[in-house]
Amino acid sequence: MNRVALKTLFIKEIRRFAKVWMQTVLSPLVTTSLYFLVFGVALGSRLKEISGVPYIQFVVPGLVMMTMVRDSFLNTSSSLFQSKINGTITDLLVAPIGASEILLSYVGAAMCRAVITGSLVLVVALFFTWFPLHSVGWAIFFTLFVPATFGLLGIVSALWAEKFDHLAIFPNFVLLPLAFLGGVFYSIDLLPEPWNAISRLNPLLYMVNGLRFGFLGVADVSPVASAVVVLISFMVMLSVAGIMLQRGYKLRT
Amino acid sequence: MKPSVLRCSHVTKRYGDFTALEDLSLEVYEGEIFALLGPNGAGKSTLIHCITGVSKQSEGTIEVLGFDTLRDFRTTRRLVGLVPQEINYDPFFTPMENLMINMGLMGVEPDRERAEDLLRTFALEDKRDAYTRTLSGGMKRRLLIAKALVHQPRLLFLDEPTAGVDVELRRELWQEVEDLRAAGTTIVLTTHYIEEAERLADRIGVIHNGELLLVEGRESLLERHDGRSLEDIFVELIRRADGRHAA
Repeated sequence: MNRVALKTLFIKEIRRFAKVWMQTVLSPLVTTSLYFLVFGVALGSRLKEISGVPYIQFVVPGLVMMTMVRDSFLNTSSSLFQSKINGTITDLLVAPIGASEILLSYVGAAMCRAVITGSLVLVVALFFTWFPLHSVGWAIFFTLFVPATFGLLGIVSALWAEKFDHLAIFPNFVLLPLAFLGGVFYSIDLLPEPWNAISRLNPLLYMVNGLRFGFLGVADVSPVASAVVVLISFMVMLSVAGIMLQRGYKLRT
Repeated sequence: MKPSVLRCSHVTKRYGDFTALEDLSLEVYEGEIFALLGPNGAGKSTLIHCITGVSKQSEGTIEVLGFDTLRDFRTTRRLVGLVPQEINYDPFFTPMENLMINMGLMGVEPDRERAEDLLRTFALEDKRDAYTRTLSGGMKRRLLIAKALVHQPRLLFLDEPTAGVDVELRRELWQEVEDLRAAGTTIVLTTHYIEEAERLADRIGVIHNGELLLVEGRESLLERHDGRSLEDIFVELIRRADGRHAA
């Protein structure tokens, strides 16, 4: 392991998103604040309670998770894809580093960005409602492993993508629908069959509910089931991203 | 004879049905400037990419100072520097930051003094904190060379370093190449400019259609051809090879 390169790449990735903080940190915060206003305040006043907690409180963990998932994915995918487009990927290819340094640094930085933006969303939420912290352990588990999984998915997408359109497929056509249908704004207990059963096939449901259990102590699925889904997703993405980088998929032609 | 720094043995590179390099063997010796000449698409960059890690050969072995570039890649890549043909730069970082980052990537603790030295050597000290995108084409090219030198490589590849640059900058770059050789760096340079090879190279290799047609010392090559210019020799070699292929 080239520790100097690992540290350098990690710091570089942190500085990259810090340099464009308006786009990477402030922009998601504005979007999430609007969600709070529309779903939490406007609709929440009519919906009152869901799963035994006030609706505005119910949406907080889901919005935090949605922000973390999106930001961790975007951090790795945009950075790696831009390197491919502007040619600076050559700097990585000729460096004495392997897949492990790239994975650890890129995913580590993506997790940092996700934790920062997720925490800021929590701060914004405090302007609208208070919320408990039911289980610190579960909250930390989902706060670390879910962004790591989506950071890895961002790497896979960037390696696969050949144009910006390719890169937009996942966040727009997969992530956004799965997040909205993954119980960010509602409990799947409200859904009739077969939609309830179909919803249980959505991995985002487990991620959102895992964090919701950590904060509020309520969830549509057990935290253990959520943890299993997250760990399996993490291992799958780690293997895929690791193999692609090891083989130099679409990099070392 | 000086020790070998680079040894390519029977290197073949295929892209699907297309063979970019065909059973190519080559040695480069310590302290020399080796110029690799060839028309567009001859395989010059492909060979450099296989040696430096940008690409992988399909067959054959490549050794840098006795280390295999695939098996011992962490060692060989510390020994090698690459100035790519295409200008590339990270728009997020300044020249100073780019050099510091490249040092770290090459496994060297980032050293501000070394970065300052490189910026001075390549006349970029005034631009140390400027956005890289605001640099002129010549400055960007000089930054690329500085980046390739951050870890003091034993073997430096310059892939068409003077392509598209004006006469003045070309002469500056030639001087920098000569200074690097004087400092002990072995240099492999690819070029379209015969004049460049004639001025700088100790030995010359001609590559065409992925085959190495000739490797010879510059002086003996010119002597052997009775004072004909290197350009004439090059053109004749390529024509002969094309005729052989056509036949």
